[in-house]
Amino acid sequence: MSAEEYQYIENPMSVSRREFLSISGALIALTALPAAVVRRMAVKRNDYIRARTAGLYKDDTNAKVRVSHANQGVSRLYQDFLGNPLSEVSEELLHTRYIDRSRAMA
Amino acid sequence: MEQITKTFQAGEVPGIIIIDAHRCKGCDTCKRHCATKAISGMFGAVHTIDAAKCINCGQCLINCPFGAPYEMVDAVNTVVSKLKDPNTTVVGIIAPAVRVAIGEEFGMPPGSLATRRMYGAMHKAGFMIFDNNYAADLTIMEEGTEFIHRVRAAVFGDEIPGHKPGPLPQFTSCCPAWVRYVELNYPSLIPHLSSAKSPQQMAGAVAKTYGAAKVWSVRPANVYTVGVMPCTAKKFEASRPEFRSAFAHASKEQGAGSGTPYPDIDAVLTTRDLARLLKEMGIDLAKTPEAADESILAQYSGAGTIFGNTGGVMEAAVRTVHAVLTGEELAPLEFKPVRGLKGVKTASVTLLDTKFKKEATVNVAVVHGLRENITPVLDEILSGRSPYHFIEVMNCPGGCINGGGQPIPAVGSGWLGAMSPLLAWK
Repeated sequence: MSAEEYQYIENPMSVSRREFLSISGALIALTALPAAVVRRMAVKRNDYIRARTAGLYKDDTNAKVRVSHANQGVSRLYQDFLGNPLSEVSEELLHTRYIDRSRAMA
Repeated sequence: MEQITKTFQAGEVPGIIIIDAHRCKGCDTCKRHCATKAISGMFGAVHTIDAAKCINCGQCLINCPFGAPYEMVDAVNTVVSKLKDPNTTVVGIIAPAVRVAIGEEFGMPPGSLATRRMYGAMHKAGFMIFDNNYAADLTIMEEGTEFIHRVRAAVFGDEIPGHKPGPLPQFTSCCPAWVRYVELNYPSLIPHLSSAKSPQQMAGAVAKTYGAAKVWSVRPANVYTVGVMPCTAKKFEASRPEFRSAFAHASKEQGAGSGTPYPDIDAVLTTRDLARLLKEMGIDLAKTPEAADESILAQYSGAGTIFGNTGGVMEAAVRTVHAVLTGEELAPLEFKPVRGLKGVKTASVTLLDTKFKKEATVNVAVVHGLRENITPVLDEILSGRSPYHFIEVMNCPGGCINGGGQPIPAVGSGWLGAMSPLLAWK
């Protein structure tokens, strides 16, 4: 190809300033849309944990008796059977011991 | 000391969770939820769980996108056959966290409180009700008293004859995954664990002694206790050989040779298992009318019910310890600093001990999500710098309400940190 034969032709696809702005705006909106969905998923990811937590706190708020030492059923168990906390029967039935499992793992 | 093979005592279920090799895609999600590095396998290859290291928490199971991990122990059919047996009194022990989650399996929104519907459905299925919230209250009485003894011994030099209080800080011992974690990895901290059993095991021991004799008037050997738990590790806990205490108690009373030994808890159903059992029996929880239960073993306080939340055990303990030491109820009863989803929550309470007429400041900490949060707290204790007196630990992020036995959420996961799912290298 010789130098005389070369002709410069301007790109026929030209974009005006206004067109450029609106196209970039649309592109930004398109990319932002999935980002918003992902963000929403990330934020709502633990909603079921919060809902269950709130359910139990609601049960506590609605309860007539809200402290363990006022549970009449437990008091009756101590009266009729266990005596008092850390009594001999309590130690036997309600307490335990633990074992060292670390050596078996090594 | 007993023979321990591969970190299990004789009689224990050797691991609860295994991975289905056909379903595993090797995506490594489970590894990011495992507190003990028990899962091995290259990215893209089938993963396996080392049962010797596994603490059976089931976080891998509820967070796996492919549903590959599953439980080896399934008691649904056994429980159904026991329910049909007229000679057996089947006792359903309902854990706190189950009531706010089981509805999800029947199309109810998460967090719907289904206690009374559960009573109705379980009556219909043939269960006697033992609300584990009752045992939670009992746990607070025992564990709280133990804590008061430890504090009085450490702060005021108080001594109780024939009773040697353990060291501070005291750890809660309700979470069986946490207990096994300590036994496996931090044996030197075992004395710090509260000697109180978990509510499930207390419930089993009470059901087969007091419950059998005074409440249902049946022979303990004919009582079949079923823990309904949000937890896979409870299946392991129930199989621990030390939990035969009701039988040991009966043998002591009636002399040796009183029949075949029975465990305190015969079977454990997770929340998912119970939903499956009810569906198999044709009971729709969402359509069951609410019912009350008049048994004294179904009475519970608000402090017992919040055991299922992270911080709940601590809050319940603070309410009772405050009342016992100062003679006054905590006001307000809501102990906010231990609520919420922060990894490590701390608080201080100053209590005037009426017995010694002196003030004691008690520092408490609440840890959940073992994988991310426990190591710094334990390192502090090992190096003697720990400012805490009482530490509540639950393995699962958010506490038992997000336990490994709970309904698997269709969307969402147990990742609490905002960016955690993206940090693949952690």
